[in-house]
This record gives sequence, structure tokens and C-alpha cells, in this order.
Amino acid sequence: MADEALFEFLHMEVVSYLFKTADEEKCIPILENMGYRVGHSLAERFTKDSSRFKDELDIMKFICKDFWTSVYKKQVDNLRTNHQYLAFPCGLIRGALANLGISCIVTAEVQNMPACKFQIMIQRSQ
Amino acid sequence: MSRQAGRGTEAKKVSAELFTLTYGALVAQLIKDYESDEEVNKQLDKMGYNIGVRLIEDFLARSSVGRCHDFRETADVIAKVGFKMFLGITPTVANWSPAGDEFSLIVDNNPLTEFVELPDGHQNLNYSNLLSGVLRGSLEMVQMEVDVTFLQDALKGDNTTEIRLKFIRRLEDALPAGEE
Amino acid sequence: MTGQRLSKMAVCVAVISKENYPLYIQTIPTEDDLKFHYTVHTSLDVVEEKINNVGKTTNDLRELYLGLLYPTEDYKVYGYVTNTKIKFVVVVESSNTALRDNEIRTMFRKLHNAYTDMVCNPFYTPGDRITSRVFEKVVNGMMLQDS
Repeated sequence: MADEALFEFLHMEVVSYLFKTADEEKCIPILENMGYRVGHSLAERFTKDSSRFKDELDIMKFICKDFWTSVYKKQVDNLRTNHQYLAFPCGLIRGALANLGISCIVTAEVQNMPACKFQIMIQRSQ
Repeated sequence: MSRQAGRGTEAKKVSAELFTLTYGALVAQLIKDYESDEEVNKQLDKMGYNIGVRLIEDFLARSSVGRCHDFRETADVIAKVGFKMFLGITPTVANWSPAGDEFSLIVDNNPLTEFVELPDGHQNLNYSNLLSGVLRGSLEMVQMEVDVTFLQDALKGDNTTEIRLKFIRRLEDALPAGEE
Repeated sequence: MTGQRLSKMAVCVAVISKENYPLYIQTIPTEDDLKFHYTVHTSLDVVEEKINNVGKTTNDLRELYLGLLYPTEDYKVYGYVTNTKIKFVVVVESSNTALRDNEIRTMFRKLHNAYTDMVCNPFYTPGDRITSRVFEKVVNGMMLQDS
């Protein structure tokens, strides 16, 4: 397990690096993509020992419960309201779900700090 | 950006993979953004420095470590308390210079490189260079100027990973945090 | 019979992408490696069938290991699918009678672990052909060696 403070500072550095090098419209997708790539790998790791998922619902339950708590070891409790900070975890969820065969759009909103709501919209290919 | 008030001294954790993979995504991004490995190394060092100057506060708040009397004591604290607290590993302190102003941290099982295979043509990349910056930045906040370099890197086929720390001087006044 | 010999028994190991194109295929030295490519390709239909039957039978344990896909006169073809729909196919000689289900499972487990680590390499782009030396080494350790 890694230390949360170290991860948080790393994440802050990543965000400030991106925002120094490009403007906001470009940074958010880059940050989201980094999260996507990380989520993709994490999905690979954290489903290694589970049995095969039965269906979409099975996958969604897994992501919301086991996956999230394995990754963050808790509920997210200290994300900044700034949406810059939410692009990464949004990408992370999208990447994990994509790797499990569900393509979706993930958005986040913070209504009452420190609670944060991630909204996952599944995209149907038909 | 200051630490949140009310944060306890207990260690909060995230998964080791989250940290390792996020760092990997960062290095992969920097390689896209910069022409040369040297520039990537420099950028990683800079980001590490910024992390170090903040991380030291956490370190001092959470550990009961007091002021170090000499560089040998500092070396021990870095390896046994610092690395242990933040990365969960304890590097070996070795290869002291006769004057006692230089030593090496021998890092086995570097968590940053757990899954990494360097692509061809990046022999000059110091993949874990963030660590150099973190050490430099955090020591500067406790009034020590040090020089940090990677002497060996297991990622490049060396037998081990060896980070060299050289004491330069004691700083009189605390420097302001942050570096551009 | 040593464990070492038992674990070195594959004549072909393949990794197939979500979209059913090969990410990696390794065969023992042969003049006819096209034959193995064909065998692997054919096995994918059986894999697909097994995956789609998920939960249809009450005693389905939904294991990642799919077991024997089909036997031919000379070979037995085994399959495994990850939750991310990556398929592993292992071909062994039918004459290899020392082989038990457990050894095959162990091979797939090793393959799965090696694949997962490989995907986590930040310089690998998911969906690209596998060129990792570490992964290659794991597979080579499973291949039947000429004695």
C-alpha cells in the first residue's frame, strides 16, 4: 500500500504540470486519459482473482464496491471542488469499465463537500 | 496549498498500484512532451522537489523524529522512517565516503518500477528521478542542501538501484517553498 | 517426473485480444507453425461459445479457466479468458499423458499474472502486439523443449 499524502502530492504536481504546459481545454482530456490508462491497468489487476462476471450489473456492482475500495481504500473524502481534480478519477472509472467491456461517460459533481457524486452513463452501441 | 486542518497523524493509504501506475502515466506523458531524456529527468526532479518541500511537513507531523545531529543520523532516518512511511520499503544505507558527507541508498524492490520495462532508446532516462527531487526538496526544508544522483538503476540492467546523496552545506535560513 | 518437466509442455501459447486478433503467439520450432495459428484461430469459436453460455447451466462456476476446448488427433487445446476478455490458448501434445488438469491451470495462472504485469507497464499501449521480454521469458519457460 502506498501513502495517501504522497499520492495526493503527486497528483497535484501532475495537475499543475499539465496546466502550466497547455490551456485548460487541452489539459482536462490529457488528465482524463492518464486516469483512463491507470484505470485500465487497475481493472486488469483487481479482476484477476474474481470469477467471470455474469452481466453488466455484476460489473457495475464490482466497480462501485470492491474496485473503488481496493483502489482508494475508502470513500473519496478530500477531493477539491475544482473540477481539474476530478478529471483523473473520472478517467480512472471510465478506463476500468472500458476494459471490462462497458463504454461510458463519467462525470463528477460536488454538491456537499466532501461528498462527490460520480455519474456513469453507459453508452449503448446499437 | 496547505494541508487540511484536522488531518490526524494516522497513515492514510491508497493502493500501491494506484500510486505506481499514476507515476508511470506521468513518466509516459513526459516522454511524449519532451525531446530528450535529460529534459524528462529534469522535470521529474523538479516535480519531486515540489513534492518534497510539502511532504516533509507530513513527515515531521507523523513521525516522532527530532532534529538530526549529523548526516549519519539523517541517512538512517531517511531510510528507516521516511522511505518506510511513504513507500513501504527500507533501503540500505551504504558506501559512506571517508569524510562522512556522502552515502548511498541501496533500493531493492523499487515500487516505482515494479511493472516497468524501458522502451528502446531511453538509456538516459532516470525513470525514478522524482525520488531525487523529493529527497532534495525535503532535506532543504530542514536546512540541508544535498546533491542527489542515481549511480545505478536496476531498470537499466544494473545489479541494484543506488541513489547517492552528497551533503553540500547547511542552510542558515529556511527557504520559501516552491520552485519554478 | 519433476515439476519442472511437467510445466514445460506447451507446443503453442497464444494471447488473443478482446477483438479476437492475436497479441502474441509462440510455438515450438516447427516447419508448420501455420498449423498452430489455424488451431488457435479455430479454438476461438469454442471460447466464444463457452463465454456466451455463462450462467445458463446451474453448476457453472464461472471460472476464468475454460478447460479443454477440443482435442484433435495430435493435440489438446485448452482455453482461459480474463474478465477483460483477453483469451489465452495453450496447445499440448495429446501424447503427453503425464499432464493433469492442475498443471494446465498453473500454466494459465502464470500466463495471466505475466500478462497483467505486462499491461501495467506504462510504456505498453493496450491492444498492441506484446513485445515484452519479461513476458516472453515466462512463456519460454512453459514451452516443450527439445531434448
